[in-house]
Amino acid sequence: MGALQRRTAGHPLLAVMCCRLNPSWLCGGVVLLALAGAAAAQNDDDFEFFERKIRPVLVQQCYVCHSAKASVVQGGLLVDTREGLRKGGSSGRPAVVPKDPAASRLLTAIKQESNLKMPPGAPLPAEVITDFEDWIRMGAPDPREGSAGPAPSPYNFEEAHKFWSFQPIRDPQPPRVQDPLWGKTAIDRFVKAKLDEKKLTPLGLASKRVLIRRATYDLTGVPPTAQQIDAFLQDASPNAFERLVDRLLASQQYGERWARHWLDVVRYADTSGCNSDFPIPDMYRYRNWVIRAFNEDKPYDQFLREQIAGDILAEELSEKNLEERQARIIATGYLANSRRFGSRKNEFHLTIEDTIDNLGKAMLGLSVACARCHDHKFDPIPNRDYYALYGIFQSTRYAFPGTEVFQSPRDLTPLGDVKEAARLRQYQEEASKLEEQKEDLVAGRASKGLSREERRKQQSALADRLALLETRFPDVPKAYAVTEGTPSDAQIHRTGNPRSLGDDVPRGWLTILGGRGLPPGEKGSGRRQLAEWVTDPSNPLAARVMVNRIWQHHFGKGIVQTPNDFGARGGRPTHPELLDYLASRFRESGYSLKAMHKLIMLTRVYRLASGHDPNNAVADPRNDHLWRFDRRRLDAEEIRDSMLAVAGTLDRTMGGRHPFPPDTKIKYSQHRPYIAGPEVFETKRRGIYLVQQRIKKQPFLATFDGADTNASTAKRTPSVTALQALALMNSSFVHERSDEMAVRVGMAHSTAAARIHYAFRLALARPATPAEIQQGVRHLAAARRAYRDAGTPAEEAPRAALASYMRVLLASNEFLYVD
Amino acid sequence: MTEQGFTRRQMVRSLVGGSAVFPAIVQQLLADSGDALAPKAPHFPGKAKRVIFMYMSGGASHVDTFDYKPKLAEAGKKGEKAPNGRAFLPAQWEFKPRGKSGLYVSELFPHVGECADELCVIRSMKGDHMDHFQATLGIHTGSVSFPRPSIGSWVSYGLGTENRNLPSFIVLAPKLPYAGSQVWSSDFLPAIHTGTLVEPGSEPVLNLRRRTPSDDVQRLELSLLERFNRKHLQQRTGDSDLAARLKSFETAFGMQTATPEALDLSKETDATHKLYGLERGSTQGFAWQCLVARRLIERGVRFVELIDTGSFGPANWDAHENIKSHEPLAKNVDQAAAGLIKDLRSRGLLDETLVVWTTEFGRSPYAEGTIGRGHYNRAFSSWLAGGGVKGGVAYGQTDDYGAEVAEDLCHVHDFHATILHLLGFDHTRLTFRHGGRDFRLTDVAGNVVHKILA
Repeated sequence: MGALQRRTAGHPLLAVMCCRLNPSWLCGGVVLLALAGAAAAQNDDDFEFFERKIRPVLVQQCYVCHSAKASVVQGGLLVDTREGLRKGGSSGRPAVVPKDPAASRLLTAIKQESNLKMPPGAPLPAEVITDFEDWIRMGAPDPREGSAGPAPSPYNFEEAHKFWSFQPIRDPQPPRVQDPLWGKTAIDRFVKAKLDEKKLTPLGLASKRVLIRRATYDLTGVPPTAQQIDAFLQDASPNAFERLVDRLLASQQYGERWARHWLDVVRYADTSGCNSDFPIPDMYRYRNWVIRAFNEDKPYDQFLREQIAGDILAEELSEKNLEERQARIIATGYLANSRRFGSRKNEFHLTIEDTIDNLGKAMLGLSVACARCHDHKFDPIPNRDYYALYGIFQSTRYAFPGTEVFQSPRDLTPLGDVKEAARLRQYQEEASKLEEQKEDLVAGRASKGLSREERRKQQSALADRLALLETRFPDVPKAYAVTEGTPSDAQIHRTGNPRSLGDDVPRGWLTILGGRGLPPGEKGSGRRQLAEWVTDPSNPLAARVMVNRIWQHHFGKGIVQTPNDFGARGGRPTHPELLDYLASRFRESGYSLKAMHKLIMLTRVYRLASGHDPNNAVADPRNDHLWRFDRRRLDAEEIRDSMLAVAGTLDRTMGGRHPFPPDTKIKYSQHRPYIAGPEVFETKRRGIYLVQQRIKKQPFLATFDGADTNASTAKRTPSVTALQALALMNSSFVHERSDEMAVRVGMAHSTAAARIHYAFRLALARPATPAEIQQGVRHLAAARRAYRDAGTPAEEAPRAALASYMRVLLASNEFLYVD
Repeated sequence: MTEQGFTRRQMVRSLVGGSAVFPAIVQQLLADSGDALAPKAPHFPGKAKRVIFMYMSGGASHVDTFDYKPKLAEAGKKGEKAPNGRAFLPAQWEFKPRGKSGLYVSELFPHVGECADELCVIRSMKGDHMDHFQATLGIHTGSVSFPRPSIGSWVSYGLGTENRNLPSFIVLAPKLPYAGSQVWSSDFLPAIHTGTLVEPGSEPVLNLRRRTPSDDVQRLELSLLERFNRKHLQQRTGDSDLAARLKSFETAFGMQTATPEALDLSKETDATHKLYGLERGSTQGFAWQCLVARRLIERGVRFVELIDTGSFGPANWDAHENIKSHEPLAKNVDQAAAGLIKDLRSRGLLDETLVVWTTEFGRSPYAEGTIGRGHYNRAFSSWLAGGGVKGGVAYGQTDDYGAEVAEDLCHVHDFHATILHLLGFDHTRLTFRHGGRDFRLTDVAGNVVHKILA
């Protein structure tokens, strides 16, 4: 159970509480917690029937409203004690009369025979009802004495704090190692000590040629050019690799590569995800903000703070610092990008769940949203903590992208001057007023007593006014971001149902991480405090989770191999001390990512070869202990960008707004949702600038295991499919790139051998061997013939044959994998 | 299959290392490498080996098709009103008892009615949402709010496939349904289990069409590619991922032939065409989809989904204005679906093939406007045929008006649990760990409807 020690006031079966009907979905792993002595001692057969058949059903189905734990006890009935069941609820009649099923109201309720039908929702399975009937016939044996008393906290937090990931970050001394080659950096010493302990012999170093390709892909996502390779190979100085790393970190491509990792985690999309999947034309500003943040090496704690509360933090800056103020507002696009649901505005609780789910996973490595319907089953996150956070987001106004019923976007934050801002605000207010009126008419709320004719007339008048208003749409700069809303605490949604409200929960922080609340008299939503709580040095998770992500993207797997889950169900660190060492250095550097990259890359372990060793393979088949470097396939964007790069046609400029239809033309429904056509997908800019839709994936990215735009992608899992092979053989994208590459290579060199040689350097970062050149020359000749045979004009055949050869290079494993 | 990044494939990569014998080692690697699509045994022997899942887009009315409600007709005639004040609207088509079983089917589906003795109609379906988008996700994934793997992806994940030259999960849909491609997404399951959209025409699968002007050019490319990849693999001992990719080009090349072959109906007899109501040479309509579905499952495809139309009304079942708009839609589906059942039966395939007919929700028994019906998730009908279900039976009942489930509720989760059971799965054990939780198609619910199992 690791972190979680529940206090079991009643009985171990309490632990199956959350799962309606069929507890196996995740309870399989719930080890049923310390057995409480008293109840277990009385195990007479009758009681056993109760424990096996009756109590679990009461706990699962009834306790939420009928126990001392219920926030509001319904109908005055308590079923968590024998006395409560015998006494019954406010009707004054007993719920259970021993040996008299007919008089037991509990039974008639679950049989749904009378007006009182329980539990709400699906009726209990017939066999369960029979169990209850049998049990009452037996005399309703029930060992539960007395009244339950005050509801205990479900967790023992003192115990829970002992779980590794909640422990404060330590700064362990690197161990001593014998091998001098491994003694130069602390990271190497941590790694080698573990290898020694496991009796694993690390491989030797990768060649410089392999190394520059590896480092360049890791930091920039595009291949090194032939010149860059030559320069590195010729640089014999001891700090050649460090200079290479510095150059890569300083390139714009660095931000474009690493921002993509963050966008994966925050399930970035350019559309809303509602049933009509409304486009969000201004979302790109957030994407570009993330790229700039990486390129400027914005301290990670500030990076998080601005995404949670940038609009509030902007107020700290002087009016003159307009650009930075705007940037902070744009940063909160992180929150606004939460998924939208339905056709109206009434499923916003799901959007807030998505915010909490993502914030928990991305910034803390915790599945906080599991506590929406019940106390978290594995990690110490009470249901109340979820609603403490919920209140903060409920007090926040999210930009509204438009939905099927309310088509006009609203609550966007103006970025321009005061006059522009006023125009935008006025427009949005007018548009929403008209839409609300229209909807009231449609829904019949404002049309009582109106004739059908009259109603239609009014509706059409409103539609005309809306259309007229749209012609005056103020095209001013704006951000899809959040602002402060009306502050209020949330009420618990019982079993996650927003129509069944329970106790008020004051806004605050997760108990396990300190559980602070808002200061008295706080007028804001609480996001300002939340930003501080998340990034407070006393929170060990933020830094650990991020250094683990950085490590993961260099080595293919994290030190914790479940990067979004540092809880009880997640993996344990393979190198716990190394993880804390890295987190300590991260903190010390003022949370500099670039410093962390250098620290990790300038090590021996990063430069290991990606080969094989039969003994190690048996002892550590997963390479958990890093006896070699793991070969990896390029990810979807890398494949695409690399093809453009080697074809010489990659447009390296930063992407801007997508060619969405004009704001006023954005009108969609679930019947006709927004589907980005090929014309908006096509760009020769880097993959990070492609439209990311929620209802439909970009086809090339989807084929090569691109990120999920609906939920956080902690890591890409590369698959091998025939559809990928088809894309490499037949897609227009690959054919266009190979044609371009043929032109590039054909223009640069005039002999077949020289062309092949050059193509190898471009695509594979190495010269071709004489055998490969011969093989290539033969292919060109054969392909020329085949093209002519297929009717290609003789003068076009050589270029077509060259393109055919390029296609083979671009589809080859050597191109698609990094050693 | 854990999230911790350990796959059998990687293990194999290490274990068989040291040898560089080709191509035997490649075959060996592939055979042992936890190949995600290799045929797998379910939890217990299932009667159904494969599924054809017909989904009617927009919400097909239950009281006009498979749920006979004579009292609703009376109530309509008398002008009675539903508790919400709207007038009851009688079924707009006659119902008749059909077959030996006497199962009631309306005139909307006369051909399907002829197959009454094969059908198990579930008249007590209930879903969680009354909007198309969410309900469509619900009937496909079990979740109405968050995207999750489709039922076809779960089945592919659980059973693998019999024919590597075709995808394991194929979708035939003339238009995008509500919720778009999320309907056949594998979501967090491995991408190989994503539904592959197959369309009539020159490129039935994305990138299937050879873009080189001749087969010879492509063969030259693939043979050079294979030489490149083999040499690359030789220098990288025992990496089964590389070996699998090498092999994937062979499969892709096979798909280029196998897919058009599966879609080529020219060798189907006139009698077969007639049975489905398909004009020779046509690639339109549900008849084409049904006949192709039969050919696909004959070739080992595990799960074929047929979506009759897209998200755009009034050309789908979303009959708000006039329920009569069901007529052409039913006509498109009726003879084709019946033809498929008869054809499967006569070829001896029906016992091992589960045919499912469903929709995202039913339609209100009371009128919207004068003769339309609204969305209705509180009760609707679906049917199953073949694959281990009883024929000629109806399961569950709604009340006299078709307004509420009165008996034997079958929630969408129960429906899914039953389909998985027929395939040999305990739905509570067909799980995938993702984000710290073991997910399943039926979320935390679902009871197998044992009464309908043959």
